[in-house]
Formats: sequence, structure tokens, C-alpha cells
Amino acid sequence: MTLTRPAPGPTAAVASPPEAPATASRRPAVLCAATLTGAGSAGAALLVAANRAAEWDTGRQFALFWAGMLVFTLPAVYWLVRRGSGARLRVAVLTAYAGFTYLPKLLRTPDGPLFHDEFAHWRQAREILLDGHLFEQNPIVKVVGDFPGLHSTVAAISGLTGVSIWHGALIVLIVAHLLVVLGVAVLAEEIWQDARIAAVATIIYSLNSSFLFFDTQFGYESLAIPLLVWTLVALHRAMRGPAGRARLGWSAVTVMLSAATIATHHLTALGLLGVMLILCAVATARALRRINPRAVTWTAWALTVAATVLVVAYLWVVAPRTAGYLDPYLAKALDQIAGMAGEGGGGGRTLFRESIAPWWERAAAFGAQGVAAFGMLAAALWLRRKREGDAVSRNGALAMFVLGSCYFPAALLILTPSGAEGARRSWAFSYLGIALVVAPLVIWLLDRAPRYTGPALLAVCAVVMVGNTAAGMNPSYRFPGPPVFGSDTRSSIPEVSAASAWLRSTQGRDLRIVADRYSGLIFGSFGGQRPVTGSVTFPTYELYLAQPDRKISPQLITQLSEWRFTYLIVDRRMAREVPEIQIYFETNEPVPHGDQPAFTLGQLTKFDRTPWTIKIYDSGNIAIYRFDFASLGKAVR
Amino acid sequence: MTTPRILAATYVALAVLAFADGPAWALTPLCLGALVALGELWLRALTGEAMPTVTRIGLAIAAGLVSLPFLAITLHATGILIRPRTVAIGLAVLATVLGVVVLLRERAHGAPVDARLPRTVAVVAASGALTLAVGFVALSAYDRLPHPPLPGYTSLALNGWAGDLRGPVTIPARGVHVPVRVSSAGLPAATQPLRVRVGARLVSGRPLAVTPDTTRSVDVFVPAPPDNCLHRVEISLGATSTVFYAQGPGRHRC
Repeated sequence: MTLTRPAPGPTAAVASPPEAPATASRRPAVLCAATLTGAGSAGAALLVAANRAAEWDTGRQFALFWAGMLVFTLPAVYWLVRRGSGARLRVAVLTAYAGFTYLPKLLRTPDGPLFHDEFAHWRQAREILLDGHLFEQNPIVKVVGDFPGLHSTVAAISGLTGVSIWHGALIVLIVAHLLVVLGVAVLAEEIWQDARIAAVATIIYSLNSSFLFFDTQFGYESLAIPLLVWTLVALHRAMRGPAGRARLGWSAVTVMLSAATIATHHLTALGLLGVMLILCAVATARALRRINPRAVTWTAWALTVAATVLVVAYLWVVAPRTAGYLDPYLAKALDQIAGMAGEGGGGGRTLFRESIAPWWERAAAFGAQGVAAFGMLAAALWLRRKREGDAVSRNGALAMFVLGSCYFPAALLILTPSGAEGARRSWAFSYLGIALVVAPLVIWLLDRAPRYTGPALLAVCAVVMVGNTAAGMNPSYRFPGPPVFGSDTRSSIPEVSAASAWLRSTQGRDLRIVADRYSGLIFGSFGGQRPVTGSVTFPTYELYLAQPDRKISPQLITQLSEWRFTYLIVDRRMAREVPEIQIYFETNEPVPHGDQPAFTLGQLTKFDRTPWTIKIYDSGNIAIYRFDFASLGKAVR
Repeated sequence: MTTPRILAATYVALAVLAFADGPAWALTPLCLGALVALGELWLRALTGEAMPTVTRIGLAIAAGLVSLPFLAITLHATGILIRPRTVAIGLAVLATVLGVVVLLRERAHGAPVDARLPRTVAVVAASGALTLAVGFVALSAYDRLPHPPLPGYTSLALNGWAGDLRGPVTIPARGVHVPVRVSSAGLPAATQPLRVRVGARLVSGRPLAVTPDTTRSVDVFVPAPPDNCLHRVEISLGATSTVFYAQGPGRHRC
């Protein structure tokens, strides 16, 4: 019995855009493989040299890093946009591009979590392996446990193969990175039906500020963003039809991937709804003008409603804490924008304040915004003049233009301390719009005068890549270097890890402890403890802030006692250094931030003389105290 | 590849993952292969139509990958612990369900064949392997090159029974030996003063040799406080110290 039949003919061609023919001769493929292997090796060597320069503080890391990136990227772009490159060659180059662009992050964190959210996911994956349960509350990022998509995948792969959690995470993240690259190319081809435009769109998307470091971290968005992109691919195919089984099938794929997105990351799921709603709005507007077939509009709406039901139900039933987690960021960002607009002009933040990034990176960061604005302006004119493609393609192009335009309002949020994080996260979505509508323009320019526009566009590509990455990530996230207090990535010194290992080995795990942000990361992840770093309703930072001769608030002591907090971690570097990211405990802390440390040594060593804190461990910078609330108020001789 | 062959390959891979105890470098590609095969089954079950090869590859990888969280959530909801074997068995059940749907669909409508798929998969695999090789060499080189030393430390901790102190301790008239743990890493050998203070009074002091990159336990004699009032007891080694509270054997109340 045979279960196969030949591929459908012309009917299926409507559903599936035709592929460009494979390269007839093998010569370009061999040449491409040789040049990219050479360029990749040279680029990798330069990236290693950049990391070493940063480690030894020579100051040459920025130049070496960008030389390494460009030495591979520019020839890769050449092979991708070259008219004679076949479909398979492009896929091969895109795969290599995905792999190479993961290398900076891999070199930064080869053997364990380093970025803030990575500690939270690492802990969550380990909890699954240890206890076999999902949805455990995470002490580092409150809501991470409610979105198990990434860490359950990592835990399953780690458990099935025997690789460590970190190596399991790297496998998933590299695959996810490849999925983003291929996904953007496929989505662009769905809209423009041109493999060169698709390749350019992928390259433009890869210039966004999160691509190299943020969306490659062990964080939920790194898996959720590729799922968003592939959901949009499935949605476009569902909208395109043909009606009947094929549309139903693609609709089912769309719903399945939407469900996976919401189970992975809250903001990406909301971003997906936003993009789908934009698509619906464009489709409706065009349907009202009788341009769109009704089936396209109805399919878009039906799938958007289905995705909305999934997202709302998940947030309502499974992850009800999410709104409370996200709300303060938005509310405070809006307050700060209002403050900036007010008379005092306060509440804002200075871009690149105390950054060690070189002047040309900072200049490129501002230049990249100008290039994006110019690109979108040109794309608007282009879309107005060129009304090509079927209804779904045109719909997709216009929706992507609206999405890309959202990039610029987010720039306002980057000027506020509370909105900056959200702004950076939004760019991974909005840059998709920019990439998809600017790409055809780039190909049009290349086809008109390749000799002049080619080098110019490569130069612009380099500036945007440098600028966006500089705008999106601090140098301390991008490069290794000497320990720096108050940096999520560099404040972890062996002393902190040793203290956390000691506590775990002698007192056990899952202990409720009071800590600062940076100790909390290590004690909460490797240490397996449950640190709290303070909040408005549970202001544990008052313990540290209290002057030596002042009593601690009885209400706080009651909370600590009733909620069975047993240990206090004190990092004395808080009295000697100002945290690099200006946070001691959490973003809304009532702690003065200036050029001087917010604490005196007396405030941090007062626990050496209070009978309700037994000092059980000390290593110079780190001290661990056990609470003995029964001895509170006792007189000591 | 026909659906029965995909199903058979998936079962074999999952059986190996669940029951064999092989090296991670061999099991990892097997696991990824099983997930991609599962993703292909998802695609055949849901769409059952021809599509561009890159679309098929990407969607198969994505669908295979998201099978894991879907399965984990299902196991959690049904009260089954998430363990490697339960995951492998769950994936096999999922493959069976999808396989049945695909076979029924193919019996009714036939199955699309894409002759370009194997070569495109080979191209992606070859390109990926080459990039991984370059990355691996870079990573190994970086790992082997010398790195600046990280800051060292000496730590002092209450050890043994003293590590479990939860409140003031009563010290008998003969005094008590308090075990402390001394650990040093990344610092040169040094001799530091080991001192005991009861209240403000320095009761003993002696030099202690701290050898680099070692951990050891030291018993420190603490004499009884003069009365049964609460006294602060500090054991210090150089700049580090531990502190607990103790009372002497006397009977009168403070």
C-alpha cells in the first residue's frame, strides 16, 4: 500500500508561493561555503580577541567585536542578496548567519547563566528536574513560573539527553535563534514572494537591538519571539487559503502556535495579539473598500479572536499575577513621561550615562534611529506607489507598516527609567514591521544601481547594527571584565557563589532569605533558596536602611517572623560602591541614588551587635545572619 | 519519508531516550531528531498539504519543540511527575495520536511528496554543523586561553552544632569548644589572628595559618561568660567574624 502521491500541481501553487530554482552550478555554492567558512573563522577569532581584550581591560574590545561581526556579516549579506544565489544556497547562508550571530552570546556565557532573567529560568528548569512539577513560584522573577514554555522544554531536553541544564538551554536557544532567522525569511516571502527580499528582510530584522544579546538569552522571549513569527506565517497561509481543509489546517497550526506563545511569554503573547489586531484592522479597512476578499478578513478575525480567548483565559486562570507584575512598570513610565513634560522636566534618564561605549557606538545609536525613520518614510511612499501582490500580501505589507511605525513611540519610553526595559522589548516586535516593509525598497535600490548602492547599503547596515546593539545592551552585558558591584552580569564573584553553596550544603534549600538584588540572583538560583529583595508591601530594604541606633519597624519584623524568613544576607560592597545599574534591591526602592553609596558600613554591620541576628558566616564582603526573633529586644552585656 | 517510517523512527528514538543510558553527545541529536519527526507529524496531521521546504523545516522544528511544553502542562494537569521517562512515554503517545490522524487523512486524500525536502534538510544540517564546528573551536580556544584571576576570599563560619544555633546558648562553667569552618580560595598563604571576645573582653587570641584553596574545621575554646546575662560572643579570623549570644552558668536573673 502506498501512502504517498505526487505534489499537487497548479492548485497548490496558489497556496504555496513558488520557490526560486536551486542553483544550477555547484561552483557558487562551493565558493560561498569557502568564503563564509573563512570569514566565519576569522570573525570568530576576532570575537574571541574582543572578549579577551575586555577581560584584560585593554579597551580594544569594541573595535575587535565589530570587526569580527562585520567580517562575517558583510559577505553573508552579499551571498544572500546576490541575484544568482539559489534557494538552497540562501537557506544555507541564513542557517550559517543564525549560527554565527549566536556566537557573541555563546562566548559571553559559555558555561552558566549570567543575565538577570537567566538565573530565574535556570532555577525553574532545575526545580522541574528535582521535583517534577510546573508552576512553582520563582523568587527572582515573580511570574516566570507561570509561563513554563521555555524552562519545561529545557528541563525535558536536559532530562532526556543527560546534558546539563545550561547546555540544554543552549541547544533550545540556538534552535530558537535559527527559527527566528528562517521565520522572518518565510514571513517576508509570504508577503513579497521574492527570496531576495526575504533574505534582506531577515538581515534588517537581525539589526534590531535585541537580536544579538537580549533575545538570545535564557529568557522566555528568546523562544516566544520565534513562535510569534511562525504564528504569523501560519496565519498568512490560513488567510491565503484555499478555502476548506487547507484553511482549517493552517488555522489549527495558527492556534497551536498561539497557545505555545502564551504558555511561553506574557509580553510576546500580548505583542502577538497586537500584530494580529493590526492585521485584522487593515483587512477590515480594505474589506470595507471591497478590496479584500471576505474570506481573508473573516479568517483573520476568527483566528485573532481564538488567540485572544487563549491569551485572556491563560492570564485569567493560570497566570493571574501577570497584570500586577506588568502594571507598575507601565504606570511608572507614564508618570515619568508626565514628569519630563512638566515644569521641572524630571523623571527622565540620560542615555549612555557613565557608559564606557566609545563615541562612535553612541553616535551610531542615534544614527540608527534616523536610518529607521528614513527607511519607514521611504517605505510609506513605496507602498503608496507599488500596489503589488494578492490581497493577503498587500494586507500583510500594510499591517507590517503599521507595526513598524510603532517603533518610534517606544523611543519616548526609552527616556524613562521604568519604560526603558519595555521599550527595548517592544523593538523586537516593531522591528519586524520595519524589516518587512523596508526590504523591497533595498532590493529596488540594489537593482537600479548595484555598483553604488551596494557598498552604501552595506555601510548603512553596519552603522545600524552597531548603533542598535549599543542602544539595546550595556557593555557589561556584552563583554566580560573585572568584577563590578551592582552589575547583573559582573557582580557575581566567587565569594558570593561560595557563600550560597555553603548555605545550601549546611542549611538546605528553599529557605526564605532577605537579600539584595545581586546576592539574591546567586542565592535564588545556584543556592536554591527563596530570596526576597523587597517591595512596597514588604519593604525588607528597611532592614539595611535603618541606622544602627534605630529600631526596625515592628510591622516588618512581624512580617518576617510570620512568613518564616530565617536568614539575612548582607553584601558590604553596598557601603563602598555605587551599583552600576543604580539599583540595590528593586526598581522602585526608596534608596537615594547618587555618586556616593547609599549605605554606611555602620548600617550594614549593625547586625553584628543585635541579639536577634546570629552571624553564622562571613567572608569579608558577604555575611549571613540567622534571625532569632525571640531574642528581639533582649539586653546584651 | 512515509508516515509509518517516521512513526517507527520516532518510537525507536524515544525508546532509546527513555531506557538507554548513552552519552549526551549521541542522545542530543537523537532527541532533536525525534522532536523534528514529531513536528512533521503535527504538520501532516493538521495541514496535510505541500508547502515550501523552508516553511516545512521551520514549522516542523517549531511544532516539535512546542510539543514539550504542551506535554509538560498535560502531565502536570494530570498529576503525573515530569520525569525523563514520563516525557518520553508522553511523546510516544502524542506521536501515536498524530500518526493515527495522519494515516486516516492520507488514506482518504493521499500524502504530498516534496522531492526537494531531503536536499534542503541536508543543506541546513551541513551549514548548521559547519557553523557549530567554527563556534566550538572558538569556544574551546577561548576556554583554554589564560583569564585574569578572580578576587579571592577567606571565609569563617560556625560549624557543626554551632552552625545550627537558633538562639542564645548556655555555656557551662568549664567553657565550650566551638567548631568553626575556615575556607580560603584565590589568596596566598597567610597567618591571621584567631580571636575570641566575650562581650567587650578579649579572652583569647592566637595566630592561625590559612592555607590557600583549602577548607578545614577548627575548634575554638570559648570560656563561660561571668554571669547568666546575655553576652555577645565573637570569634574572628582577621577581618571576618562570627557572632552568637551566650549566657553563663550563674543562677541570678539579669
